Amino acid sequence: MSGIRFDGVCVAYDGNTVLDRLDLTVEPGEVMALLGPSGSGKTTALRAVAGFVRPAAGRVLIGGRDVTALPPHKRGIGMVVQQYALFPHMRVEENVAFGLRAQKAPRAGIPGRVAEALEMTGMAAYARRYPRELSGGQQQRVAIARALAIRPGVLLLDEPLSALDAQLRSGMLAELARLHRELPDVTILYVTHDQVEALTLADRIAVMDRARLQDCGTPQELYRAPRTEFTASFVGNANLLPVTVAEGGAVFEGRALTLDRGRAVPGSTATLCVRPHLLGLGAGPNALSGTIAEVQWRGSTHRLYVDVDGHRVKADLPELRETPALGERVTLHFEPRDAVLLAAGVAHA
Amino acid sequence: MPPVAVLAVLFLYPLALVVQQSLSPDSGGGAFDAYARVFGSRAFLDALGTTVWLAVGATLGCLVLGFTLALIIAFVPFPGARAVAKFIDVFLSFPSFLITLALLFLYGTVGMANGLVTEFTGATEGPFRFLTTPWGVLLAEITYFTPFVIRPLLAAFSQLDTAQLEVAAGLGARPARIVRQVILPEALPALGAGGSLVLVMCLNEFGIVLFTGAKDVTTLPMLIYGKAILESDYPAACVVAVVNIAISVGLFGLYRVVSKRAGA
Amino acid sequence: MLVHSRTGRWAAWGLFGLLFLPLFALPLLVVVAASFATHWSGALPSGPTTANYTAAVRGESLQALTTSLLTAVAASLLALTVGTWAALAGAALRKRGKRVLDALFMLPVAVPSVVVGLAVLVAFSRPPVLLNGTGSIVVLAHTVLVTAFAHQSVSAAIVRLDPAYEQAAASLGARPAYVLWRVRLPLLLPSLTAAAGLCFALSMGELSATMMLYPPDWMPLPVRIFTATDRGSLFSGSAVAVVLMATTLLVLLAVSRIRTRASYR
Repeated sequence: MSGIRFDGVCVAYDGNTVLDRLDLTVEPGEVMALLGPSGSGKTTALRAVAGFVRPAAGRVLIGGRDVTALPPHKRGIGMVVQQYALFPHMRVEENVAFGLRAQKAPRAGIPGRVAEALEMTGMAAYARRYPRELSGGQQQRVAIARALAIRPGVLLLDEPLSALDAQLRSGMLAELARLHRELPDVTILYVTHDQVEALTLADRIAVMDRARLQDCGTPQELYRAPRTEFTASFVGNANLLPVTVAEGGAVFEGRALTLDRGRAVPGSTATLCVRPHLLGLGAGPNALSGTIAEVQWRGSTHRLYVDVDGHRVKADLPELRETPALGERVTLHFEPRDAVLLAAGVAHA
Repeated sequence: MPPVAVLAVLFLYPLALVVQQSLSPDSGGGAFDAYARVFGSRAFLDALGTTVWLAVGATLGCLVLGFTLALIIAFVPFPGARAVAKFIDVFLSFPSFLITLALLFLYGTVGMANGLVTEFTGATEGPFRFLTTPWGVLLAEITYFTPFVIRPLLAAFSQLDTAQLEVAAGLGARPARIVRQVILPEALPALGAGGSLVLVMCLNEFGIVLFTGAKDVTTLPMLIYGKAILESDYPAACVVAVVNIAISVGLFGLYRVVSKRAGA
Repeated sequence: MLVHSRTGRWAAWGLFGLLFLPLFALPLLVVVAASFATHWSGALPSGPTTANYTAAVRGESLQALTTSLLTAVAASLLALTVGTWAALAGAALRKRGKRVLDALFMLPVAVPSVVVGLAVLVAFSRPPVLLNGTGSIVVLAHTVLVTAFAHQSVSAAIVRLDPAYEQAAASLGARPAYVLWRVRLPLLLPSLTAAAGLCFALSMGELSATMMLYPPDWMPLPVRIFTATDRGSLFSGSAVAVVLMATTLLVLLAVSRIRTRASYR
């Protein structure tokens, strides 16, 4: 069982800081998703664990051992990248055996371990094929089998599903969850820009933006109680409204709102985060009225854009019988427990 | 590093010796004696002039011919255009002197062209005598080196978005205008790179001139061969060599700069 | 499609045929035609014969062919080794060092082949290494001349090689030497064979440096063709030239067969 620890890791290319003082601990056996837009530093963090980028400062520890100065091939990690990087000149079984042969594993044991890894990923029938004879999803499975064959303590997955189409992706997602249940000892660091993948698979999510860790917590924590505006808008959808904190609630454009949660100093400015699907149509507590700016039909739901005193508020409602006309005046409301107060401009990293 | 050591022993050391021999020959004589002797000789100046004008002329010829042919192959495709492109690749792998050999049969004193004329007119001698003049060398060089221009051009043309041409044509531009305003600007880097490569190779060409066998066509490489092998005058050969190196390495540096810009 | 009218297209094709056929196709054809002839005094060659070929594959010509083949194979292998080694070493260097190395290895292309011949002659006709009058001096000069091309094409291939393969291999625990041998070199194989073909063709046709160096007992084919035509034996010279072209083509063809088998994508 080996966890991963980032200890003040900084990485810079040509004077640009691409990873800024990352402190993060991944517990042994945990699935940690690094979630963020491109350029947020998430892939750099993963490559620092793999040993392909050298931190300018800080340490990387795997299983409590400082590996910062160790070359990649001595780190004992498994890695799967977006484009799979299967060796095109080797058959599937040779690809999977590669790591075992490279590490001079006892010859007699290799076929068994190759078969085991292929079995686990459902690719046993394809052992004699070449990578070019496989579909994208199959190549993906082989890449995972290849990484698992060396029985790594740590598995690094760098956008492993982004080259697959949507349908295959959800299938592979379930597959990865099953693999993790079968191999509970393997610590997984999963880099993705897709919140659905992160929410589905991860025990915890580390949200990254502009080279920094913004937020870290379980998927439920991040979704229900984000600590920053960035997390609120990147994990799920969010309406972010500027408010002034009041006793037991907040004031938005002259409206007094009641809130269950909120720990800010009365009188200070803050941001209120309300998820669009938690807004209801019609009168109720915490009413926001405005005019319809746009209506989008999305099959099972309707998305309304409502202008409330110059702020555009989105609401996702179950399919409406009668859709409101543009310019019509409507009222939205939300329950006091369904909104979160974010202290404006303060990063909680 | 071992590969650099190999290069140093096999190439850089010999090259340095040539420079050293040109300055202070083993056979005696002070520094620059050989230079004064060579630079003062008529044969050297003639060879220098011939080399330069032949190379420049051949390069221009190759550019015009290569551009025309590449345009047609790329943009007015015909069945077999791919085979022609393949043929050009093969053509590049043959030695240059084959062209001169072929021209001997085409335009030599007894050859196809003169034979045709004498058969029809009954004259005893054909009209084509240019083969042993610089013009014969020029024709051979243009023939042999044009593919070196066509190749980078075809590569550049394949990068060109055909939608651009269609949009231009849709806007009512005539082919000549499209060539001038859309294709030519895109092709300029490739033309520059191919042209400077051909210029260097023409300056250094030896086989074509040797096979022509004309006494009055002497280029710098021919002069080096003559001085060293036929006259055993090594100091003089080394001096000419140094001059030839200076010209072509300078131009090759230019080619590298141009082709870097062209991204080739 | 640039020209849309039918007449315009035919005009362009006509121009192409008018330029291309006489300039590029005809020369190769006449050499082949002449190799089967004894006279060429009219429009077409006359006196059909195969005697030129009987002569071209025996005696001195046969010896020249084996000399050329040995030289080309030896020079290509040496050049490929040195060029690949340098290209791999260059890829590991920083930008500046790589540029110096590239320039150094491209230099033989810029220096006239005749001068390379002269330089090698001057350098190895004196102690400490005396090679003058041996076949190895020819091999050596050819190696210098073709190494640049080997280095260039292998370097270009290394740049195109996706670093993800090496990184995947390293993450699986393979040390650098193992990665080179089992991953990088196999992936470079198509480019290596292409470079080998190029080097072989160049060496087979090399005349300039060879003229400066060749000893009487190591006369490659191009020199043999030159001495034949210089003596006025144009027709037997043509036959030897055709043998040269055919050999080069055969080897290139074989190389491209290996290449297609070695290319994976």
